[in-house]
Parts: sequence; structure tokens; C-alpha cells
Amino acid sequence: MIELQNISRTVPSGDTMLTILHPLDLRIDAGGVVAITGPSGSGKSTLLGLIAGLDAPSSGRILIDGSDITAMSEDALARFRGSRIGFVFQFFHLLPSLTAIENVRVPLEIAGAPDPGTRADALLAEVGLSARRHHYPSQLSGGEQQRVAIARALANDPPLLLADEPTGNLDSATGHQVIQLLIDVNRRRRTTVVLVTHDAELAALADTTIALRDGRIVAAGARGAAAS
Amino acid sequence: MRFVLLMAAREVRASWRRLLFFFVCVAVGVGAIVALRSIIQSVRTGLSREARAIVGGDVAISTNRPMSDSVRAALEQAIAAAPVTARVDSISTPTMARPEAGHGVAAAKMVELRGVNAAFPLYGTLSLQNGQPYSHDLLANNGALVRPELLAQLGISVGDRIVIGGRAYSIRGIIAEEPGRRAGSFSLGSRVLVDLGDLRASGLLTYGSRADYEILLKMPPSAVDGFAKTIRAQFRDRFIGVRTYRSTEDAIGNDMARAENHLSLVGFVILVLGGIGVWSVTRVFVRQKVKSVAILKCLGATTGQVLAAYVAQVVLLGLSGSALGVLLARIGIASIPPSVGAALGVSTYGLTGSAVVQGVSVGVLVSLLFSVVPLLEVRRVKPLLLIRGASPSAAPARAWWTVGGIRDRLARVDRLQAAAAVVMAAGLVAIASWQAASLRVGVVVVVGFAAVALVLQLASAGLIHAVRPIARAKSFALRHAVLSLGRPGNQTRVILLAVGLGSFFVIGVRVLQSNLLQQFSVQLSESGADMFLIEILPDQVDRVRAFLEARKAADAGPPRLIPVLRARVTGVRPAGASTFRDVRNQGREYTITYRDHLEPNETVMSGTFWSPHSPLPENAPVIEVSIEENIHDNFRVNVGDVMQFDVLGRILPATVTSIRKVEWEDARNGGFMFVFRPGPFAHAPQTWIGILRAPQDPTARGRFQRDLVTEFPNISAIDVREILTTVQKAVRTITIAISVVGGVALGSGVLILIGAVAMTKFQRVYEAAILRTLGASTRTLGAMLGFEYATLGLLAGVVGGAGAMAFSWAVCRHVLDIPWRPQPFVALAGAALTTLLVGVVGVAASYDVLRRKPLGTLRAE
Repeated sequence: MIELQNISRTVPSGDTMLTILHPLDLRIDAGGVVAITGPSGSGKSTLLGLIAGLDAPSSGRILIDGSDITAMSEDALARFRGSRIGFVFQFFHLLPSLTAIENVRVPLEIAGAPDPGTRADALLAEVGLSARRHHYPSQLSGGEQQRVAIARALANDPPLLLADEPTGNLDSATGHQVIQLLIDVNRRRRTTVVLVTHDAELAALADTTIALRDGRIVAAGARGAAAS
Repeated sequence: MRFVLLMAAREVRASWRRLLFFFVCVAVGVGAIVALRSIIQSVRTGLSREARAIVGGDVAISTNRPMSDSVRAALEQAIAAAPVTARVDSISTPTMARPEAGHGVAAAKMVELRGVNAAFPLYGTLSLQNGQPYSHDLLANNGALVRPELLAQLGISVGDRIVIGGRAYSIRGIIAEEPGRRAGSFSLGSRVLVDLGDLRASGLLTYGSRADYEILLKMPPSAVDGFAKTIRAQFRDRFIGVRTYRSTEDAIGNDMARAENHLSLVGFVILVLGGIGVWSVTRVFVRQKVKSVAILKCLGATTGQVLAAYVAQVVLLGLSGSALGVLLARIGIASIPPSVGAALGVSTYGLTGSAVVQGVSVGVLVSLLFSVVPLLEVRRVKPLLLIRGASPSAAPARAWWTVGGIRDRLARVDRLQAAAAVVMAAGLVAIASWQAASLRVGVVVVVGFAAVALVLQLASAGLIHAVRPIARAKSFALRHAVLSLGRPGNQTRVILLAVGLGSFFVIGVRVLQSNLLQQFSVQLSESGADMFLIEILPDQVDRVRAFLEARKAADAGPPRLIPVLRARVTGVRPAGASTFRDVRNQGREYTITYRDHLEPNETVMSGTFWSPHSPLPENAPVIEVSIEENIHDNFRVNVGDVMQFDVLGRILPATVTSIRKVEWEDARNGGFMFVFRPGPFAHAPQTWIGILRAPQDPTARGRFQRDLVTEFPNISAIDVREILTTVQKAVRTITIAISVVGGVALGSGVLILIGAVAMTKFQRVYEAAILRTLGASTRTLGAMLGFEYATLGLLAGVVGGAGAMAFSWAVCRHVLDIPWRPQPFVALAGAALTTLLVGVVGVAASYDVLRRKPLGTLRAE
């Protein structure tokens, strides 16, 4: 379960401070698919970055399964992410110098997991890319790269999967496959999936939708979410 | 740990092309260190193995003056008491040789005549040409063995006879190699070997003539040190020296160790140049890897793990670069022609284990030291940039020379990076000191580097300021070139540092080299004296003067004949004191003279020089001496003090009446540390030397020498012209070696430049694409790059050239003690070449920036 308490984020812009997120509270229950929507500059990605511990809030606390990640050091956060959170980016962000299988192996190796090879093979099979395992990112299509990224995000079997515009850089057919893959992951593994999207079709598939505008939650729908 | 190693290996696999330059920088420096050390270690091992042959026996007892009967008796008694198993007596003396009348050319040559008895040689073998075996019988009945060059010089061959000291010897063989005589070691003439009895009977060994008397002994190793110690203690004051093969081994070892350490510093200097390259590669590499670092952090890697992966990568690169360096050294050594090895006195040389270990460790250490500061940047990478892009760093608004500006900048200094920089400097001092085996030299080298680097840094800041007005120039290319120099995160400083240091080193070596060569040629070309006569006996002085007056060169002044004696300083008694104090270096012998006037190259610093034509009585109780200013400094002697001399066994106190300054560079008039007031030595045993200008035509010169020797068989003529030619040859060989080392340094400088330029490419590609889209032609882009790099090259060349001038001045004045000639042409040419080189390399290395289609680039960004 994710709990955001009185979270806000302001950044310096020239001589003034710019508020990206106004103080907000949010609770996301485990096991669902949550879509965060809103126009550009509404604070969606900032919110996701805060949940992943990639950024620190200007005020408030973030609890993930009871652990206060806002109180953690950089390195403790990194270890926490390694075991508890998977992250999928709009621009895939695979390591360009590593092959597909090696990209999937990296989080396993960082965590010191036993037998990372077998596990990575299984994950690539799960996203349907066994045949492309020794290809470099530059030799893969956008959709394939994103599937490798999803396999990588699932490497340590995290209870929480965060995705920032996962279909934003893909054509609609490929985007569709990726959406299906994320839904499957949620169904099969009971992984909580939180995604940021512009894509109405993708948002419609979510159990819950949270709409942001100018750094404020303007609408939250369906079961499992409570916002103010 | 597994992650760290795997990541490092994968990154190297992926980026090896980009890191090739890192690799090359390390390899060149390590190669230089390993090759130089290996060669010298091989030479050292070879020479130590031959220590017995070099000494000529287990123990060598030698003196350069005939022994008195009582000394001889005592020495023979000591030798009889020792477990001696074999003994060689040997005498060598420089003298003149000419062909027998009617044979060969009309010339006489200086030779080093050596007489030996039947037991020679105790160790090693005397090898003769054409496989002829050596036996002492060859020397019987006035036989002689000679070096091939003497035969060529005199135009004679085996079977002919040569005349030495009025005695004819028939040539029975040609010496190929004499045990213990190192090729390339300095000698006044080529070797002529005769029987000891014949030499003794020749009449050449008159009292006061210059000869070395040696007794070589073979004895069990256990007896060597004790015997040498006894002899040393017993004959300390008798001008008798003792060497053993062990002390020689040590002396060779020490000399070679010093040479090895100093030469490997050259390798270290190259490696530091490479280190700057490593720094620049790492800096750019880290910048290119920012996104990967962010991804790894996002996937759960801690900063420590990421840092460890990159450090492991640096170690891997340092190791493989060092391995390549070892390979380069191996190839380099294999390509040395065998003749060079023979000249150094070694038959085989190869890589030595200790050289390889040292080279590789220095290579890895330098890679680590130079990359750790830029690598620490990864600490600052935030995974957030993956979703938000890099946040711009706020540039300090206040100018750097204001108090606030300095405070802003200090606040931005990363403490860990600053600490790492301090560790790096300390590490470099440690490595340099280790390589030079001297903390002082290590500190001097690193501080020197830092000083030049600081000047280059200041110069680059100055340059960016100075060229700013050009940013208003009409030419678009020029305007943008100037803007590029001040662009944030550019390579201006790295290029200036690398190329500036490189050109400093290379131009410095060239200027020094021309100074050395000119020094010798100046001495040759001046129309002064070019021949010295030695061993003139007092009763020959008038006849020799007459001979020289009749035969001297047309343009020469009167020949000068000077009496000389040899003396040691045994004590100094300050004015007013009653006892003599001991002085350092009592064993050193000085050549002294007496005369009643100052020479043109002398001036009196204090006291008064005696007036002409006022000799002291021969048995004067107190004699007078004028000393050179170095003696005044070294012995702390002043006017009025009394110095005590041992002149051929006579102990003489002399009052110092004046201190002279001698212009040693104008040594045609001779220079003496001690000049005595005439009188007391008038009838002491002495010889005279002659200083003259001999006929310049080679045939006339040869005839002059031969006639002189025919008339005065005991007199030797030293041809300065010939010696200077030999020295020039030696200098030229050294010059080649220096140029090779300098060339390697220049080469690494160029490599670093190419690397630095290549590193900036990813930034330029994008800019070029935008400028292209806005309508800039290839020509405009090329001109922009050309202007930018030429400006950089000009500055690096000017700073390097100016530094080189300062460096050569310091070395000439304070190390080599020769006058400094500024060589502005060499410095200017160096600066011009640097400018051209940097401009051309800069444009050429950016070739694909000019060629690439803009759309692809813009899309990729």
C-alpha cells in the first residue's frame, strides 16, 4: 500500500519558487492498476518520481508498505527500489552498451540474486523476446525495447511497478501490446501498477484513475483510491 | 562484487573504441618506462658479470706515480703475505706513435701504450682479429698488438713497424677486444700493447711523466676484502689506490641504478602527459555515461556500486594499456640493432621482470589517480533526470575576482573531489619519488609539472579574456570560433594543458640540444689553440720553443710553454690560528703552476697578485699562492690564511695572497686553481706543457706531429680538434636518444590532442547540425574549427616555447655550466609547428562532424 501524506514539491525557477505539486494526500491500495492522467505540466511525472523515491518532496511523507521512503538516504533508497519497485520509462532507458538479456540481468546482479541468467531468460520469455536476447537496444524496435524494459522492471519481482508514459513513444498497435503486457503482469503477479499516461485508452483499462491539473488532484475515480 | 566486475567488463566491451585513447596514453608511458629500465638493467647485469674483467683481477693496486723503493718493498711484503695465486704487472702511459720512416703516412698519433707481463690477462680474454689466439710470445722481442684504427690512421699493416719513444716495435696482431676496456669509454688514444720489460727499457717513464702503474692479483674471494682493507690503511698517504671486483660491482651498480632511475623519470613524464589524456577521456566518458548511471541507480545500484564498477573499468583499462605498453617495449627493444648493444658492452638484452612489474604498477596507479577525480562526478547523478532531464546548474553570477565570486566558487567545490585531488597530487609525488629513488627529485618533478600546468591554466583564462573582443568580428567563422573557446564544459583547458606541456618538453629538449652542440662547435671554430703538448722536460723547453716558433701556423700567436707540478692540499690554517685543520677530499690532486703575471682570462677578486720579475728565493721559508674563487668557497680559505700542500712528497705551507676569478669558458689560456709565486719550484721535478695552434692543413698537421715526435720522443701531443670531433660524435648519439625521447613525448601530446578533440565531437556534432540547418556551409564550419584550434595551438606553443626557454636557461646555467644561447628560432619554429599541428589535427579529427547529415543527428538527440 502506498500512502502520500501532505506531499508537495516546489522548485526554484529564476528568482522565484515554482510549485509543481500543491500539498496533497493520496492512498493507493496494493494489487490494482492506477492511471495518473492530466495535461503536460500538471505534475504527473513529478508525482510518479516522488513515489519511486527518485525525487524528494518539499514537504510531507511517503510510506510504501509502511516504510517511510522520505526518511531514507540515497543509497538506502536505491536498495529499496532494487527490491520493491520496478520502473518503466517513456524513452525505455535501456543501457545501450548491454544486450537485452544483460539489461534484464543487471537488477538481479545488483541485488546479488542467485542464478540471474535463468531468471532473466524466463523474464524475456514472459515478454516474448527469447529470440532477441542477444540483441543490443539499437537493434530492437521501440516496442521490443519497451518489453525488455518491462522484463527488467520485473526482474526482482517487485510488488510495485511504476510506468511513466509507457506507450508515449510507440505507435498505437505496439502501444496496445505493451498495455496488454502491463495488465497481464498485474493479473498474474498481483503487482500494483501505477502508470502515468496521456492515452485515454490505457487510462480506461485502469482500476482507478487520478486526474491532475496544475499540481492539484482534480478527479479520482473508482474503487481502491481515495484522494483529497 | 559480481555486478561490479560484470558491469566493468561489459562497459569496456562496449566502449573500447572510445576508450582506445585512454589505453594508448597508458601504453606509451608504460612502454617507455619498461624499455628504458630493461635496457639499463641488462647493461648493468652484463657489466657486473664482467666486474673481474673490468678490474683485471680480484684486486687491483694502482698508482699514477713511480713508487719509492721503501714503498715498493713494503707493498711487496704485504702481497707476499697474502694468498695470491697469480699476478700481473702493468704500466700504461699516453705517448705518441709514428710509422717507421719510409712506411705509411707522415703523421704521428697519440696512443695509450700498455706494457704487461706474461700472466696477462688474469680474467677475460684478449681477442685478436681473424681468430688469431693471444699469447704473450706475440709481444716478445719488441712485438706490439694495436687497434685497427691506428693502422688506418698511420696507413700501415700487420708486419710493419711503429716507433714509440724512439724504439721500434713490429706489429704482430690486431686487438679486437681487450678485457676490461669498455667500448665507448673515453681515452686519449688507441691502445698499443707491448711487453712490460720493453716498456720499462724504453726510457719513456721519466720522473714526473704521466703513467699508471698497476698490480693485478688473483686470490681466493674470502681474502679479497681483508687484503684490500689492509693495503688501503697502510698506503693511504702514498697515492696508492685499491679496487676489488666487489667494489667495482657496487660502483657499476650504483651508477647504473642512478641512470635507470633518471631515465625512467622520462617515462614517468610521458605517462603524466598520458595521465592528462586519461583525465580528459574519463571526464567526457562520465558525461556521456550520466544516463547509464541514472538508470543503474534507478535499478537499485548504490553510488558505491556504480563507482566501483567504473573504478574496476579504469583498472582493467590501465592493466590492458600497461600490457600493451610492455608489448611495445618488447618490440622496441627487439628492434635495437646489435651494434648498439655491443657499444654498451652487452650481448643480450630483453625485458626484465622488475622493469615490467614497475611499469605495469605505475601504469595502473597513474590511470587510477588521473581518473578518480572525474569519476567522482557519478556521485552527483540523480536518477530523476530519467523522467525530468538534467537540471541546469546555476552558474555563479558574480565575477571570479570579487570576494563574493570567490566565495560562490569555493562553496561549489566538491569536498570529496578536492580531497581526491590532494590524494592524487601526493600519489604522483610518491610515484615520481619511487621512480627517481629520491623524494627531492620526485617533488621537484611534480612541482615543476604543477607550475607549468598552473601557468597554462592562467594563460587559458587570459586567452579567453583576451580574444573576447574578436567575438564582435565581421567574420561569422571567427566570431563563433572565439565563442567556442569560452563555451562551458569545453576542452580548451585540457588541450592547452596537454599540448602546452608536450611542446614545452619537446622545445625544451631541442633548445638544450642546440646549446650543447653549439658549445662544442664554438670551441672548435675559434682561431685559438688547438693542440696541447705534455711531458716536456725542463731541459727541452728552449728547444721545443724554437721548434714551435719555426713550425707554428701562420696566423697563430707565439706558442706558450707552462711549467706544471702536481700537488694535494693537506690542510688549512686560518690567519692567526696556530694549527692546521683537515680539509675534505684530501686525495684530490691539483695541477699547479707558477708565474709572475695574470693571464687575460683572470681577474683578481681580493688581495694583490705579486708584481712581475720578483721571484722569491728558492729556499724561502714561506711561499705565496693565488687561489681560484671556487677554492675560496670550497675550502673556506681567505687571503692571509695558510694552505699546506704536498708537492711530490714535499710538505709546503703557502700563504694565500690573492683570490682570482678565471673565465673558464675562455680556457685557451689555461686555467689553474693554484698559481704560485715563482722561485721555490725553479728546480723542483716538473714537466712543462705547451699550448699552440698547429697547422690546419691535415697533411701539414700530420707531418708537424711526426717531426715533433721524432725530435722529442717523450713528448705527447693532444690534438684537441680530434678529441672534440670524438666528443661531437658522442653528443650526436646522445642527441638522437634525446630526440627519440622528445619525439615520443610529442607523439603522446598529439595523441592526447586527437583524443581531446574526438571527445568534444559529440557536442560539436549537434551544434554543427543546428548551424547546418540554419544555412552554414561546410566551409564555414571548417573555418570555425580551424580558427578555434589554431588559436589554441598558438597559445599552447607560445606558453610551451617560453617555458622551454626558461627551462633550457636553468639547465645550461645551473646544471651543465655552459653559457646559454636563447635559440629564438627553435622556440619560434616550435610554437609555429604546434599551431599548425593543432589546427590541422583539430579540423581533421572533426572531419565527420563536417560531413554528417544534420537530420540524423537532430533526431538522435
